[in-house]
Amino acid sequence: MLAYFVKRLGLAVIIVSVAMLMLFCMIYAIPGDPAAVALGPRATDAMREALRIKMGLDQPIWVQFWNFFTGAWTGDLGREVLSDRPVLGVVLEQLPFTLALIAGGIIWSVALGIPLGCFAAIRRGSLADRIVGILSVAVIAVPSFVIAIYALLIFAVQLRWLPAIGAGEPGDLGDQLFHLILPSLAVGLGWVGYIARMVRASMLEVLEASHIRTARAFGLPDRQITYRYALTIAVLPTVTLLGVGIGQMLSSAVFAEIVFARPGVGKLVYDAILTRNFPLVTGTVLVTTVLFVMLNLVADLIVGALDPRVRSSF
Amino acid sequence: MRQPFGQPSRRSVLAGLGAFGVAASAMPRMAISQDGRVLRVRSYSDLQVLDPAFWVSLPEADIITAIYPPLVAPMPGDVWSWKTVAAKSIEQIDDLTVAFELLDGITFSGGHGKMTAEDVKFSIERIADPDNESPYAGDWSALDQVEVTGELTGLIRLKTPFVPLWTTTLPTPASCIVSKAAFEAAGGQVTTDPVAMSGHYLLTEWVPKQRTVLTRNPDWPGEPGGFEEIHIIPIEDPATAELGFEAGDLDYTWTAVSSLPRLKEDPPAGSVVLEKPSLAYVWLGMNEAVAPFDNPNIRRAVQHAIDRQLVVDAAYYGAAELGNGLVAPGLPGSRDGVTYDYDPDRARELLEQEGATGITVTLDILNQSERLLAAQVIQANLADVGINAEIKQNDSGTFWSLGASDSPDYDTMQMYLQRFSMQPDPSWATVWFTPEQIGVWNWSRFDNARFKELHDMGLVEADETKRDAIYREMQDLMDESGSFVFFTHEVVGVVHSEDIAPGLKPNGEPLLTEFKSA
Repeated sequence: MLAYFVKRLGLAVIIVSVAMLMLFCMIYAIPGDPAAVALGPRATDAMREALRIKMGLDQPIWVQFWNFFTGAWTGDLGREVLSDRPVLGVVLEQLPFTLALIAGGIIWSVALGIPLGCFAAIRRGSLADRIVGILSVAVIAVPSFVIAIYALLIFAVQLRWLPAIGAGEPGDLGDQLFHLILPSLAVGLGWVGYIARMVRASMLEVLEASHIRTARAFGLPDRQITYRYALTIAVLPTVTLLGVGIGQMLSSAVFAEIVFARPGVGKLVYDAILTRNFPLVTGTVLVTTVLFVMLNLVADLIVGALDPRVRSSF
Repeated sequence: MRQPFGQPSRRSVLAGLGAFGVAASAMPRMAISQDGRVLRVRSYSDLQVLDPAFWVSLPEADIITAIYPPLVAPMPGDVWSWKTVAAKSIEQIDDLTVAFELLDGITFSGGHGKMTAEDVKFSIERIADPDNESPYAGDWSALDQVEVTGELTGLIRLKTPFVPLWTTTLPTPASCIVSKAAFEAAGGQVTTDPVAMSGHYLLTEWVPKQRTVLTRNPDWPGEPGGFEEIHIIPIEDPATAELGFEAGDLDYTWTAVSSLPRLKEDPPAGSVVLEKPSLAYVWLGMNEAVAPFDNPNIRRAVQHAIDRQLVVDAAYYGAAELGNGLVAPGLPGSRDGVTYDYDPDRARELLEQEGATGITVTLDILNQSERLLAAQVIQANLADVGINAEIKQNDSGTFWSLGASDSPDYDTMQMYLQRFSMQPDPSWATVWFTPEQIGVWNWSRFDNARFKELHDMGLVEADETKRDAIYREMQDLMDESGSFVFFTHEVVGVVHSEDIAPGLKPNGEPLLTEFKSA
């Protein structure tokens, strides 16, 4: 297991390093002078030059990359262009909002997707099954920003049940959760369809398994067979699906954060790209990349711990 | 700075869980400002630099003038004028001297003592000092020195007469007073942690990307601010802000121009929709240094090819008026018309004469809906006379660098659709088209010595009639060059709750210290 852990960790380090290189190249390929954009129309050439020097843009590109690379591995992601705040602090300040949004999205998708998939499997071939199938495909097909806008128009503007913008009163968890309902619905609704389809297919397979037939032969109640013996097995592929889905939810979070004017790393990086705040762009993307790689590493280690075949095949 | 998520208590966790349960059946929400204590306004960006010498965006300037009182500030209303704030009195004694006396009893927060004329001297001279590299040094380019004549009195001495002093220098953050002792102790500059505040309001909380809270300053010796707290919420997208207002989460926001007809037709319940004249100017520019627009006849053909009224009507849904130059109506130099007309036959004739019928050119625009609509009408107008225009949409970071001398597009950009905002003095508009601005903001590379001469004259000419003539002639010169097609000054849409009386400049920009309960 130790060898497996070391190999997986090494792979994670390589992935992060390659991601850093790609990120650096992409950032510097974007047109537009970051110093001019940041300082605005009234800045003089001397001011722009001073900012370029401060941002290290006067250095050869390989020196800039080396500084970025070595700084990143020691936790120094640089400082924001104008406010001069440490980038790592700025990103970590915004990260909880995005994580809360993704967690809310997962809750919505699981809370609606599993019962719907289960319901459809039990009533296989019925009208209800077909309706669930159509709805599942529909919510998968509709982009999250469309869901976000309609949810906002209906529940915030028309009905005024829920807030339209912001993340709630700082320090008031109740208000923050209240402000999370609509954005997390927008992020998670598409995944309701995926999960419902996955659970339905998985349930149908499990319901044909021999241990379920045996349970039926013993005369156990249908409810007990379905929820205690079939669903607990059928739901396992959903966990794997959600692991993959976190990356996609991160990108959906960008739209939700913009539409609902919420803080978060998605909005942070969007604003930073528009203003060519390069240290903030690289820092934000790097932190989210590391987070994603770490989550996948943890998932791999859990799977490896549970299944010796995975360890030996690596 | 407050932690965004704070420390949740057991009680708040339970309350949060309960909120999920009751959300679907909750009664329509009540606006939290209905008790008149809290004002919630939208800003289009979060704050980065709260320093009168180094601020970056207008929302920062709004906050700065609320926490660091300026000598004078714009008067709310429909006419550009000013009123005293930190100054008890201020007057121009002669062309080169302004005498001021501070309001007695202004104190800096944090135990930094009383505001004195020494603080005025420090605040103004630090902006003017070239060594400090303030982007606003130009506001005080005519300053010689600030002379302290008493604890609360002093003289602002100028090297040359400077007419924009009373329109675009004094009633702006350029006259905000900071504490000399506190700023020197802070290293000479502040960013997001302001020190020694003394205005109508104090900045008491900043949650990045979420909100800034201003709290009424109990020690302000003048008329107090209208609300106990002002919550400034950064929302970049105007459509999101409009929805936030309609949902009751905001008391004041400005709107997209394209939303104005809808909002005026059907205002949200309990709201007031206002339309204010903007000082901005929108124009199509041609790069004189790049073919085919190095040929003045082809530039003139473009001027004749475009139906300006149609472009404005299409892009702004009929909400904006046709504009005739850089200078907005009501300011010296505002014109009633341009020197060219819509004449497609003449445009075809000029193109044929130059053998340019059927040429293909590029039109760079910012990726905003109004610009795209305008560009599409321009494209159709040009196609009608035999010019194929390809529209290139750019994000803001790319677009704003296109005409800079170190931009890779500098020698290839042909046409651009541009919008500049300005302050209520025509020199603020003409300065960007002087020869010194070639490679910076003069993207057309319009190089006219007479234009520069007139610009310099306008800065020192106090006679209103002569100034009017100067700025009219400057815009005529721009027309003559063929490089500019002027469209509109736009309008500013504002929507606010009927429970408040907003303090607005004539162009609709907010004056936070002037907002009151209705």
